[in-house]
Amino acid sequence: MWPLFSLDPLSKFLSGTILLGLCLSQVRAQTTPLETPANVSYPGMIQTFEKLIQIDHDKFSKCSDELIKNSKTFQDAALVNNLDLEPAFLNSIILHSDPGYIRLASSDKCRFYDTIITDLLRSDEGKIKNVFITFLNKDSVRESAIVSKKDFLNKVVNKECPDTQKLIDQFQVKNIGETLKNTVFEVPTGKEQCQNIHLSWINNPKTPYLCQVQEFIQEAKSNGGEPKDLQQRKTVAKILEQKLSIVQKDYLENLCSHLDDEKIFCEEFLNVSFWNKVAAGYEDKVYAEGICEKITGTNQVNDNQLKSCLVRMKKESDLCLYQRGDKSALAPQMECEALSLALNFSGLRSNYVDCPASSDQLAVTNLSRLLLNISQAPLKPHSGPCSSISSGEMIYFNTRFDNDESWKLEACYDDRLNEKEVCAKTFFGSYDNHPASYPLVVANILKNTRGAEQTLKCQMISSRVYNPVLLQYQSGCYIVYEDQKCFISECKHQILYNNRPITLIKIKNKLLVDYFPNNLRDEKFSQHYLLTRDFKQNGRSLNNLSGVENFFKKSKKGVIHGVGCAEDILPSFFKSRGMNQCTPLPFIVDGVIKQDDNATLVTRTALDSLQAPRLVSWSNIFSTVKNYQRMHPLRIWTLYGLD
Amino acid sequence: MVWISILLFLTSLSAAELPKLLTKHAVDSIRFLSMDGRYAYVKKKAGVLGMVSSFRSVDFLSEAQGSEFVMTSSRFKARLIIEVIPNFHTEFNFYKKNKILVVDWGGIAPKEIGQGINAKLHLQDEWVSYFDPTEKKIHLHNVITSKKYEIIPSLKSNPFFRPEIEMITSDTVVYTDINEQGHSAVVSFNLLTQKSTILYKSPQNGTRLELCQEVGYLSVGEFPYEGVNRGSQIMNVTLTESTNLAGFTTVYSSVDQDLGNMVCLPQALYFIKTMNQDKKLGNKFTEAVQLDLKTQQVNARSSLKNVSQLLQMDGRVMIPMRGDFYVLEGNANLSDDSLRQVPGSKKEELPLDI
Repeated sequence: MWPLFSLDPLSKFLSGTILLGLCLSQVRAQTTPLETPANVSYPGMIQTFEKLIQIDHDKFSKCSDELIKNSKTFQDAALVNNLDLEPAFLNSIILHSDPGYIRLASSDKCRFYDTIITDLLRSDEGKIKNVFITFLNKDSVRESAIVSKKDFLNKVVNKECPDTQKLIDQFQVKNIGETLKNTVFEVPTGKEQCQNIHLSWINNPKTPYLCQVQEFIQEAKSNGGEPKDLQQRKTVAKILEQKLSIVQKDYLENLCSHLDDEKIFCEEFLNVSFWNKVAAGYEDKVYAEGICEKITGTNQVNDNQLKSCLVRMKKESDLCLYQRGDKSALAPQMECEALSLALNFSGLRSNYVDCPASSDQLAVTNLSRLLLNISQAPLKPHSGPCSSISSGEMIYFNTRFDNDESWKLEACYDDRLNEKEVCAKTFFGSYDNHPASYPLVVANILKNTRGAEQTLKCQMISSRVYNPVLLQYQSGCYIVYEDQKCFISECKHQILYNNRPITLIKIKNKLLVDYFPNNLRDEKFSQHYLLTRDFKQNGRSLNNLSGVENFFKKSKKGVIHGVGCAEDILPSFFKSRGMNQCTPLPFIVDGVIKQDDNATLVTRTALDSLQAPRLVSWSNIFSTVKNYQRMHPLRIWTLYGLD
Repeated sequence: MVWISILLFLTSLSAAELPKLLTKHAVDSIRFLSMDGRYAYVKKKAGVLGMVSSFRSVDFLSEAQGSEFVMTSSRFKARLIIEVIPNFHTEFNFYKKNKILVVDWGGIAPKEIGQGINAKLHLQDEWVSYFDPTEKKIHLHNVITSKKYEIIPSLKSNPFFRPEIEMITSDTVVYTDINEQGHSAVVSFNLLTQKSTILYKSPQNGTRLELCQEVGYLSVGEFPYEGVNRGSQIMNVTLTESTNLAGFTTVYSSVDQDLGNMVCLPQALYFIKTMNQDKKLGNKFTEAVQLDLKTQQVNARSSLKNVSQLLQMDGRVMIPMRGDFYVLEGNANLSDDSLRQVPGSKKEELPLDI
């Protein structure tokens, strides 16, 4: 009988040898496994493997017959010693099972039992129905017995691996939905990270049960297994399939097919087009939306438009160069193929849009990207200009570490009664109803100066949306801003209260930020100091490529941030015109791609869209930081890994 | 427009090692240096710009502490531009407007022209152009007559686009623009009639156009942006008494993704060429090359592997790289202390017009 899976018998044999060593070190070989008879000739490789399987079949049948004939009963694992599996039975498993599942089984004893229970391992009889065991009886005499899989579970597995029963319960149809919800299907963004993820799946007790679900669905789909209960199994498979998302299904298919080959498992994530991942739901559609909106000329793409757009993006590399206008950032972006490669290796949280084109303080844009990447918390409710997310995150962070004094942007008015100017810290937009949100600040000023009702709420709306003719704008408080001229520090806007312009509020100061310390006296107020000391993000200065590579090897979620000169990091966008010219530009490096001896870094400058990183050589990163260092008052190196 | 395909001769011999600029001042502090080393404008301390000559040193511009300075010149050597960048280390803002000042060549009495970026001198240094990044307007200012003009380019597809500007005559301005689809164009604008004509429109998107002008010609370079797989080309148009700008001649074309950043000289132009590229990872080896305008031969002039910028300052062409300035054209060693006579004068220079 040929094995059930289409496998390479030689690799199975080799894997099996490892399995024997790892898992069954206690098994005393009573017979030499798979002894080749002396008179066997070796006319060809296939015939040899056929012979191996024939030998195994003979041995398995002989062993089975003997055990049935002797009809030894096995009472309980607690009553015997040195319980092991029969070598003939093990040899048969090794020859007939998928090497991936053999690898899974070989991680420890309980995992081995789990793979038997979940029907992942096969023997000469196909799915394992009976288990051949050997043990020392009360009189210390070695005996062998044959037990049904059910008895094996009750009498052996439950005794030796108490967690197995819990796992079985978790994967009952009624509980599986919850179990899947609590299981993290982590998508890797780097080679080392992927290897770690693969290893963690091998050691994860849930893996055999997850693969059982996958195998069960596949078998029902292919009309495999016993024909008598096929219909019933198809019904269960359908239920199971409904509980799995498309992403989970694909993930499990990849995992369970490549448990013995981390390279292929990782290639499925890192070498496939990122646009496939978006289409399959692995990645957020935000990565393609801006591009597809530009292509289709619409403000919002539906699922069908997105799908056909993703297909085009794989074929027409030029399509990714530009995004829709109001989501704009530095353009052109990289071509689709390069962008896909960069995104496959990118680890920075990018599931929201922060519009660098609306930023006149790129320190805020860059730092808020770091903060949201560290927290991974859901975005708080926000409204108004696109920059409100960045400003809101930044003001929360600085308030948390008693650095709100450094936030200098203020809305002021003359308090004529007290003959003084009254100012309140503010930022343009609304974020989580932070008291410094401009609509709240304006509403408070109107309450104080115009006797507005205590319930008054103001709203920031784009001049594109505002229509003075509409009834809804005839009363209430509206802050109408111009999209193209509303930034973090300055925002061209008009306040309308009951349809009358309000001119008493003045914006004062600019938002100036010490990204890295600019002088020793104020070092503690710099954002990098707050991040690394107060927020306790481990900051590591990085000044060579191997340091960067090691950082990403060690740190699964870490990113690198820095400040450099735009003329060196993006030389085709920004041209030097004078000696020692430098335009400071903060950036984040969140991945490294290595190929042979070459390496490139996945980089987002604060001018780039969050969804469109660039591939930048280490040479350019080094030059950009080096040249900024020369301009810096403290001559500090401004490239740090945060983890 | 006449298109002539050319045969490209690229000398691939490795370039000789370039001399580094040596001066008596710390190179980091220099903002402008004349060819003979007689005048140096240096950042003395935070927010202070000084001028240093053979025997004199004057701090003539004092700005807020966090300010930086960029200085540029032109081939006419009549004036210099000083851009004062406010809040250099605390305001990372690509819409920030610099204070633009003009000072006579070697002088220390600056005159404010306006607020913007990328200021440039034109036509005997009588005109200054600059760009307002928030209003997206090109400003032209005549230093002598104080005449002012504005041009509003299209600038649709990149909020951070900065046009390149050249003045051909006192009426004709040529600038680069970009449309909604990302196609770049060279536009000629007549200041008197306020009418524009497209001189060249790129057939492909994802490329940028560069302009540079020297005696008798205007050069237009088309180079791809980073991460965009396009070829490169340089076209020239001969400048005559008339303002007819038709008839570009291709003097260089390549399938390589060259970086460009052209510098024009009377007989040749320099640009940054991609010598080798890992197409998958995007890593490039780039060098400064010289394109001989007569023979159209391209010669590699550097062997630094990662050249990203070229600078021209009073005829000296340099490659800035990680704190060093490699000199391609002009004297590199300005550190000798021997006394020199002012050309054409027997008196010590430096008319201090404070």
